[in-house]
Amino acid sequence: MKSGAGRTARILPAVLPPLISVLLAFIVGGLLLILLGYNPLEAYAMLFRGAFGSTNRICEILVKAAPLIILALGISIAFKSQIWNIGGDGQFTIGAIFSVWVALNVGLPPVLLAPLTFLAAFAGGAFWGGIAGLLKSRFNANEVITTLMLNYIAVYILGWLVLGPMMDPAGHGFPQTQLVGEALRMPILIAHTRLHGGIILALIMVVLIYFFWKTTLGFRIELVGKSVKVARYAGINVPRTMVLTMVISGGMAGIAGWCEVFGIHYRLLDHLAAGYGYLAIVVALLADLNPIGIIISAFFFSALMVGGATMERMAGIPFSLVDIIEGLVIIFVISRVIYTRWRGDRA
Amino acid sequence: MTEYAVRMRKITKRFGALIANDHISLDLRWGSIHGLLGENGAGKTTLMNILYGLYHPDQGEIEVDGHPVRIDSPLQAMELDIGMVHQHFMLVRPFTVTENIVLGLPSARRPFLDLKAATRRIEELSAKYQLKIDPSARIWQLSVGEAQRVEILKNIYLDTRILILDEPTTVLTPQEIRELFEIMRLMKADGKSIILITHKLEEILAVTDEISVLRAGKLVGNTPTDRTTRNELTRMMVGRNVLFDFSRKRTRPGRAVLKARRVSALGDKGLPALREVSFEVRKGEILGVAGVAGNGQKELCQVLSGLRPVTSGRVFLGERDFTNRPPKEFIDNQMAYIPEDRQETGLVMEAGLTKNFIIKNFDRRPFSRRGFLNGPAVKKNAGQLIEEFNIKTVSGQARAKELSGGNQQKVVLAREISSKPKILIANQPTHGLDVGATEYVRQCLLDQRGEGVGVLLISADLDEIFQLSDRIAVIFKGEIMDIIDRPDAQLELVGRLMAGSREEGAA
Amino acid sequence: MLDQLFTAGFVISFLAGAVRMSVPILLPALGEIFTERAGILNLGLEGIMLVGSVCGFWGTYATGSLLVGLLAAVAAGILFSLVMAFLCITVRANQIIAGTAVTILGGGLSILIFRAVFGIRMLPPSVEIFHPLHIPLLSKIPLLGPILFQQNLMVYLTWALMIVSGIVLFKTTFGLKVRAVGEHPRAADSRGINVILIRYICVMIGGGFAGLGGAFLSIGFMNTFLDQMTGGRGFIAVAVVIFSRWNPYRAMGAALIFGCANALQLRLQALGFPIPHQFLLAFPYVLTILALISVSKRAEVPAAFTIPYTRGES
Repeated sequence: MKSGAGRTARILPAVLPPLISVLLAFIVGGLLLILLGYNPLEAYAMLFRGAFGSTNRICEILVKAAPLIILALGISIAFKSQIWNIGGDGQFTIGAIFSVWVALNVGLPPVLLAPLTFLAAFAGGAFWGGIAGLLKSRFNANEVITTLMLNYIAVYILGWLVLGPMMDPAGHGFPQTQLVGEALRMPILIAHTRLHGGIILALIMVVLIYFFWKTTLGFRIELVGKSVKVARYAGINVPRTMVLTMVISGGMAGIAGWCEVFGIHYRLLDHLAAGYGYLAIVVALLADLNPIGIIISAFFFSALMVGGATMERMAGIPFSLVDIIEGLVIIFVISRVIYTRWRGDRA
Repeated sequence: MTEYAVRMRKITKRFGALIANDHISLDLRWGSIHGLLGENGAGKTTLMNILYGLYHPDQGEIEVDGHPVRIDSPLQAMELDIGMVHQHFMLVRPFTVTENIVLGLPSARRPFLDLKAATRRIEELSAKYQLKIDPSARIWQLSVGEAQRVEILKNIYLDTRILILDEPTTVLTPQEIRELFEIMRLMKADGKSIILITHKLEEILAVTDEISVLRAGKLVGNTPTDRTTRNELTRMMVGRNVLFDFSRKRTRPGRAVLKARRVSALGDKGLPALREVSFEVRKGEILGVAGVAGNGQKELCQVLSGLRPVTSGRVFLGERDFTNRPPKEFIDNQMAYIPEDRQETGLVMEAGLTKNFIIKNFDRRPFSRRGFLNGPAVKKNAGQLIEEFNIKTVSGQARAKELSGGNQQKVVLAREISSKPKILIANQPTHGLDVGATEYVRQCLLDQRGEGVGVLLISADLDEIFQLSDRIAVIFKGEIMDIIDRPDAQLELVGRLMAGSREEGAA
Repeated sequence: MLDQLFTAGFVISFLAGAVRMSVPILLPALGEIFTERAGILNLGLEGIMLVGSVCGFWGTYATGSLLVGLLAAVAAGILFSLVMAFLCITVRANQIIAGTAVTILGGGLSILIFRAVFGIRMLPPSVEIFHPLHIPLLSKIPLLGPILFQQNLMVYLTWALMIVSGIVLFKTTFGLKVRAVGEHPRAADSRGINVILIRYICVMIGGGFAGLGGAFLSIGFMNTFLDQMTGGRGFIAVAVVIFSRWNPYRAMGAALIFGCANALQLRLQALGFPIPHQFLLAFPYVLTILALISVSKRAEVPAAFTIPYTRGES
């Protein structure tokens, strides 16, 4: 229906603004580095080399990108409905907890147990997200605060479990559980790397979510996001939709947790989520909540993380530079409006 | 002091491609009431917003009391003793009258507030102009008429000598309108000047000394009030003689399709909004509910469409009890509802027309199948409706906010009517629309009536009620005062009922 | 074990601790009351507090003066909050996303500053914090004396600020303007009030208070700066503001409750109470959720809350 040239003309204006935002973030970050006595060019070079320097490193990027994509997809669903789910970390954690518990305690053959752990992860995240959804729909409790509080609570629950009831008895007192059975773990795709099947899962989820927005449920969630008043008037059960949205969003975060556990760690560890939930928000926003864009955005931020870790090790520049770039990216993305407004005023 | 309080010369204002004011000139004499007449969208409010400093003109000059001025902000307008009472009051609801009036004023006890002195002055002024206001009352406790008087009092307090009133009577009962005109005359006698913005002919003829008529952004006429007629004004306002001659099928109303039996309900603040309301709407008739806005109309519509619970009483669709059922069930049982605020409830402004057309039936064939939306069917539907209802838009993908008010209302209308309803509730359906759109909507309602739909028309516009209804109900403070057959209804009587008096000949 | 809880010694120590721990919640809450009363929701408080915390520490470390540290923290808070103000008021961006950005940015910035100034050391640098100040006479009152009047300067400062906030908000022309801007910005505009300016000022007031609150943690309580040391207090403050229905005096009470939760948790841990310490640590966060549930019906939100203001669009 659309010619090749027409397609390009549509992609460019969609891709350019995020690129500019990223560029601006790097520039401001660089200025900050200069101010504090570091060399930005050296830092960024290290960043780049740290990210793309070897096959192993690139695989690391994909390893980090997989849970990030899944989390960002879940967050994009909530955000599109104007429900600000900041609780990715907590939902991720509870999902991981549920799935590991099932893996370690349910006696079923792996062919049945594996999918069960997957469902358990979804259920855990869905439950944790659903709590916030319920609180919002029944009590009008601000979901930013409730999901955040639930994040902290989830971290403490995890901490208690891995040092208490679920602690590995042979683990020398480390805060972690036993390893899950080998048959349950995800296959490694490239030998001698940590790259596991999770990235395939993530890509499958992208396709699923792309079609999700073409379903009636997706339409309903989007309508609630556009206007609660109109949605009610149109006969939509808004409270139920809100809870459902958080259930789906949280469930996806739970799956991301499953991915991280059964692909990398094979056990529960303290601080499992490691801030992925917040990063996923940035990923989703940079991609303008678009499923395809999320792939690119997640790749970029994963590269940033991998490069940042190397940068800290090699050049001594604090990893927090990455946080700063994250924050700056959001700021430039949401400030984009001011540019179009300025253009409009001059017309 | 000069003869003219304000002289506006060749004022031009553009909003993008739209020319809201096109070289308009207006002269306001001291001690006179000047009417600014025009239909919705003619540019009256824009022109006055320029005088009040909310907008800057692209071209033109303004003289106040003989001095050329530049009015860059409401603050400057206030310094020139120009004040404005807007359609949507500029009052802070949780504050008291006194707090609202002293807001932004320097205080004798800086930096602390000095409410006592202000309260005393307010009481004096209230007595002098017969405004009957209690300074310690909070705005949310006041009726709309009382709140409007607070706005006027605020202006008097600030020594406003040039007062602009923007459509002040849309929210008043006939009695309150008379009182407002008295207050205006008192102010005029005091040497103040008033500009009255309105689209209502009787009012402008009743209280003004001079009239300027705007149409599509241009000044089309200016005349002393005592030298013009209704017809002449209408012709200037609209460009033709509008007779509102509707084609009205003869119908025989059938069974009741919508019944309310002693319905009571609470409003948003927990106070009673509906009290034992009973009526029925029959197949093939229009039941008009007349009433000044704020007497329970919104709550009534909500109760009848499942958007608000009743505290007692029953709602029936046909013979079936639908009391407190969810909105979806009303929609699924062929009830259509055109809400009062099309921009907040009726349409998603940011969304395209295609989506707006299907918000109520997107989960049904042919728009969806097995949980998936049918894109082509949705688009086709939009194309059909746009053509059928003559909606002026660039394309089906255009967003609702890009359309004019009249076309937006057509989108709502198209959506509701295309669902082939048995009952149609229309709340203030022509509010804010120009004459052309108003005609279209009213004819639509009559056509629906002709097809056997039971129409519940709720409107504060008595002309509209009288033109369209088969029977007229009057609502006042949540009660149905009476239901009269159209042939037996008279304007005076209905006006009195709207003001709450049931007896014959009562003031 | 339980009998250890009900000794006078424990209760006094606990309540005194509660008063102390209420400060880093009350300070940002007071500032946020101004911000939200003007119609802006600032969810970046956490980031602003961290920046204030590190700058306060740096200021004290560099000059040896706690007062300089306080001023540095307040200044840093005000400056950093300008980012939030710009995004919410001038750009008119979504306030919740803006707050998230500022929180993430503030977290990274505070660590970066700390590392840049102090580098990596074996032992964290430390300063002398504010010493307790015994108020003459009052501190001798049995029970109340040790609880209320043997606190450090920052605690007394906080109480003073609470009273000043209440007076400014409800008894001055400025306070009236702030409340009008949050309820009906158009009406305020029509009275010649500069809505944009008032909102900027209120966000900056919030920033200053948040910076001060952060400084309390680094130079008024701990004696150093730690990564993410605010522990969510910036968000708890927002909950406190809602819970106290935007009233400074009620905010004090709410903050005290959270202070109690904090203080109790520390002491029960020390006593070896048989509850897993993670549950005690989680308690303030659970309390926040419960607080939000309890206000669901009664919240009289400022009407223009989180709605950006533009003039001239009808």
